[in-house]
Amino acid sequence: MRGLRAGYGSAGDVVAGVDLALPPETILAVIGPNGSGKSTFVKTLVGLLRPRAGSIAITGRDVTALSPARRVASGLAYVPQEANVFRNLTIGENLKLATEFLRARAGVGHAQQERVLALFPQIGRRLRQFAGNLSGGERQMLAFACALLANPEVMLLDEPSAGLSPRFVHEIMDAVVRVRRAGVTVLLVEQNVPAALRIADEVVVLVAGRVAHQAPAAEVAAADLADLFFARASAA
Amino acid sequence: MNPAQLLLNGVVTGLLLALPALALTLVFGVLKFPNFAVGAMLTLGAYAAWVGSVLCGFPLIVAAVLAVLFVAGASVLVDRTVYTRLRDRGPITLLVASIGVSFVLENICRFCFGNDARNFDVAVARPMRWHGLRINHEQMITALAVVVSLIVLHVMLRHTPLGRAMRAVADNPPLAAVRGIEREFIAGVTWAVCGALATIAGVLAGLDRAIDPLIGWNYQISIFAAAILGGLGSPAGAVAGAVLIGIAEETSALVVPTNYRQAVSFTVILVFLLFRANGLFGRKAISR
Repeated sequence: MRGLRAGYGSAGDVVAGVDLALPPETILAVIGPNGSGKSTFVKTLVGLLRPRAGSIAITGRDVTALSPARRVASGLAYVPQEANVFRNLTIGENLKLATEFLRARAGVGHAQQERVLALFPQIGRRLRQFAGNLSGGERQMLAFACALLANPEVMLLDEPSAGLSPRFVHEIMDAVVRVRRAGVTVLLVEQNVPAALRIADEVVVLVAGRVAHQAPAAEVAAADLADLFFARASAA
Repeated sequence: MNPAQLLLNGVVTGLLLALPALALTLVFGVLKFPNFAVGAMLTLGAYAAWVGSVLCGFPLIVAAVLAVLFVAGASVLVDRTVYTRLRDRGPITLLVASIGVSFVLENICRFCFGNDARNFDVAVARPMRWHGLRINHEQMITALAVVVSLIVLHVMLRHTPLGRAMRAVADNPPLAAVRGIEREFIAGVTWAVCGALATIAGVLAGLDRAIDPLIGWNYQISIFAAAILGGLGSPAGAVAGAVLIGIAEETSALVVPTNYRQAVSFTVILVFLLFRANGLFGRKAISR
């Protein structure tokens, strides 16, 4: 993405000029203080918010003008922070819908479904249950499975650990690692910094809608986060 | 009057109301606004079938199928020319736009066919008698057509990709978008289904009474009462609400003059909006 700017209504930019490249098959964590524009950034990438300026490309193809549905068909998958499954549909229906409108995309089909259900065995056993009856962690697993069924090249995760118990946070982060091992590039927006640093390869610190710092995860883990978050914020 | 006869009449009236009430609730569920033009779509459907049957001489069933296709297409056209531009303006703007569409459709019918009452060219048949109940042919056709329509709609919503996509968009529009479902495509499908349901109801209404430019308006309050009673956005609720409203309207003849029948629907709307706005089967809206 180049020079990305986005915001709401007539208010100022929430994402204020982000240039970023995602190395293939890595986990890039985006962290930052509350209100730094992390969720707005990821919504702009997936097309739920129209950018005011800048461009977004997936494997060299410009997708800036495409609808969210067309971006998904181009290889982008998104797991929202909340409301990440269709609660009034069964688990089976959620899984079917993940691919029914993407048949033309390469790699979407029965073989991919078997691979994904092998990654999340607890989902495949309860296909007739309504998704609204699942716990937060189980819903997150189902949302991951649905996103992976589209055989994406890049997966955007918006705070997957939000509201989960520590046990589920651990399971979710392990699932993210499995997703990366399956050959998918992951952009992980996360408020839970220790959990993100545990699995990330590279970290971007977003402050006031700008990239304030970018470094390997080990380097960021050794740094003082308060300094990274707030010294840069006051500078911005 | 025989209470059992009133009950039977009420069930059939309710079944007729079920189709436009479903059309109303589907649009509300998927597109999030109450479509005031549902009555005018019913009127347009009745006239379209009358043109096919009486002016062109097709058998009524063929005329009805052609009318369904015509009104489904017209509904999609109205969506593309009016509602699509207003999609993100909120439910009040869309409701007001649908009031405008209602007046336009109704006056197109008035301009083309005048205010005179029209009738389908169907032979009058002697009603059947069963255990003291009088069942006329129009009632049997209405019950059969509505039950078949409900089964087809149920299968479509539950067991086809399009139906699942409509339910997904109703449940969570942004998530549906990132699952590859184009909202505008599903909006078009919803309007086509809505137009088809209103047209079937229009044809059945035209069998029961004269077709005039206000035929849809005569059902409007009852349609809204049925959808609100069942819980706007709930298809099963719309059907149950319609049957209950039909029965309540017909049996009210035991205690109030029949020309006050619509007061029953008004009362239901008032009571439910005041004390149980989510209806019998609807879920409470949660906003943050």
